[in-house]
Amino acid sequence: MQLLTTPKREPWSRNHLLRDAIGQAIYDRMVSDPSVHLFGEGCHVKVHYDAPNIERDFSDRVHTLPISEDGNVNFAVGASLLGVKPVVDVITADFLYRAMDSICNTAAKMNFVRPDQPPGTIVIRAEFLTGGPTTGQRPEALFTHIPGLNVVIPSTPRDAYGLMRTVLDTSGVTLFFEDRMIEDGLIEEHDRRCYAPIAIGYAHERQYGDFQPDATVLVYGLMRQVVEKALDPMLNIDFLDLRTIYPIDWSQIKYSAQRSRKLLIIEPDVQYGGVGAEIAATIAEEMPGVRVKRLGGMRATIPAAMLRQGSRMPTEEEIRDAVTNW
Amino acid sequence: MTLLQTGKRTLTEQMLLIRAVEDHLQTLCLEGLAGDLHFSKGQEAISVGVCAALRETDYVVTHHRSIAHAMAKGVPLEPLLAEILGKAEGMNYGMAGEMHMSCPAKRFMFSWQLVGTCVPVAAGLAWAVKNYLKTDDVVVCFHGDAATANGQWHEGVNIAAVQQLPLLLVCENNAMAGNVTPEYYSPFGPHMQTGRAAGYVIHPDSVDGNDVGAVYRAATKNLEYVRKYHRPVLLECSTTRLGRHKQGQGDLRSQDEIAELAKRDPLKDVVPEERERIEAEVQELFKRALTC
Repeated sequence: MQLLTTPKREPWSRNHLLRDAIGQAIYDRMVSDPSVHLFGEGCHVKVHYDAPNIERDFSDRVHTLPISEDGNVNFAVGASLLGVKPVVDVITADFLYRAMDSICNTAAKMNFVRPDQPPGTIVIRAEFLTGGPTTGQRPEALFTHIPGLNVVIPSTPRDAYGLMRTVLDTSGVTLFFEDRMIEDGLIEEHDRRCYAPIAIGYAHERQYGDFQPDATVLVYGLMRQVVEKALDPMLNIDFLDLRTIYPIDWSQIKYSAQRSRKLLIIEPDVQYGGVGAEIAATIAEEMPGVRVKRLGGMRATIPAAMLRQGSRMPTEEEIRDAVTNW
Repeated sequence: MTLLQTGKRTLTEQMLLIRAVEDHLQTLCLEGLAGDLHFSKGQEAISVGVCAALRETDYVVTHHRSIAHAMAKGVPLEPLLAEILGKAEGMNYGMAGEMHMSCPAKRFMFSWQLVGTCVPVAAGLAWAVKNYLKTDDVVVCFHGDAATANGQWHEGVNIAAVQQLPLLLVCENNAMAGNVTPEYYSPFGPHMQTGRAAGYVIHPDSVDGNDVGAVYRAATKNLEYVRKYHRPVLLECSTTRLGRHKQGQGDLRSQDEIAELAKRDPLKDVVPEERERIEAEVQELFKRALTC
């Protein structure tokens, strides 16, 4: 990916390959679609640091709103009624709890109660951090429960670019998460290339084993890089990155589970009531011969002390153990 | 007052029509043929007076008590009734029902069941009118007095004030939140919601919401200001709800209290012949709506 101008980095900022890709996708879409507008808290400041090409060419389409997350999303719904395609930045994923009403009650229902009218496009952005009890939560699974919402969590710049291009180009309401805990250094060179839209609802087959693999490993978000780092690349496994947790790529999951008969779901979130539970239950119901295992975070509040934050995610050792011991 | 006219009907005729349609719907509710509807009995002068002052191209956003607003904005009656009765012939194919319906062809853009949601949505719409479509149309947001206690009202008004949007906020102040009286939700007392405007440095105005001529004049004056200066205005219309909050809920008020409020009924002076004429018309309409 070639950014048109170099982002201005603050010394404390880190892990920006994903963010640059999302910014580039929005920029590319703004060039061809004049109805894409950006809204959010401190929006023009964020654009100034992260997407100088948007600031340079489309500053009139960047709109800073107050710190009122719920009102901001409802505001974007109002604008979308007249054909605007809003990208609302809620900043930190924890702030989404503030906007649950406008996302789940208003935005998610709009296209449903207006079947006689052209459907609208709304994208709600948020990022995962690790900072403490209310600055490091991962509420993505909650939104998969609400009809009318798509939930996207890319783990590479290529996917982030392609998926953002797609959601801005199709109708519907999308929660688009940016996982800031994915370290730039762990992203492989070929995953940094951004060039084409990617359809939502399709998992990325990171690795296919031979005719009869030992296991299928499903991941999303941060877990992709963690698992890649943890596992021996010579292992005979199917390794799938979901990319979108709603809609879910059932056909590819079932195809792979059919081959391996063992399905391991590794999620970077609280395991209880999570995405893995939904997949495990469905596979158990529909494919009785497949063994299912889950690996996720404990249901505990995140301590502010940096050193202890790792404890809520699956560790490399746990992952190795889960893949090899069935 | 009766000389004021939009389309084919005088304002009084429009109010009578709303009253007659809602009375018929109420009968259907009691018979179990319609859902748990919210009616504007006693409040019709506000929707009729404000919408008469609007241009056809102006936008309306409203709350759960939306039937009167839709009719006053000129939404065709047959698809409207079909929508309220949950039929596939409804204007939103029966998906929206009474509390979420919309008809963009008549610029009746949005109604929402959750109290307060209409305000930030109306602000977003007004933003798009001003900055995206770049026309000189105005958005009118109807809301109740109880909505002014909700965070969404405040977030929406704040954005509208900061962004200087062409938004007329019409507060239908019936001094009721369901069955709850203002001492539980407003520090301003029953008829002073304009006090909220000071917090956002927007222009407040108030009018007797049961006098359709006064509402029309106040709306005309404030719409001119909103259109010219792109500043929101809070217009409080004090009114009386003569019916229940909704059909499935009891009314804590006594018959005497309601009889006292009915002295302010905007339709109390209408001659019986006019009333009968409109009712006959509505009966015909319902016959068609129920058989389709």
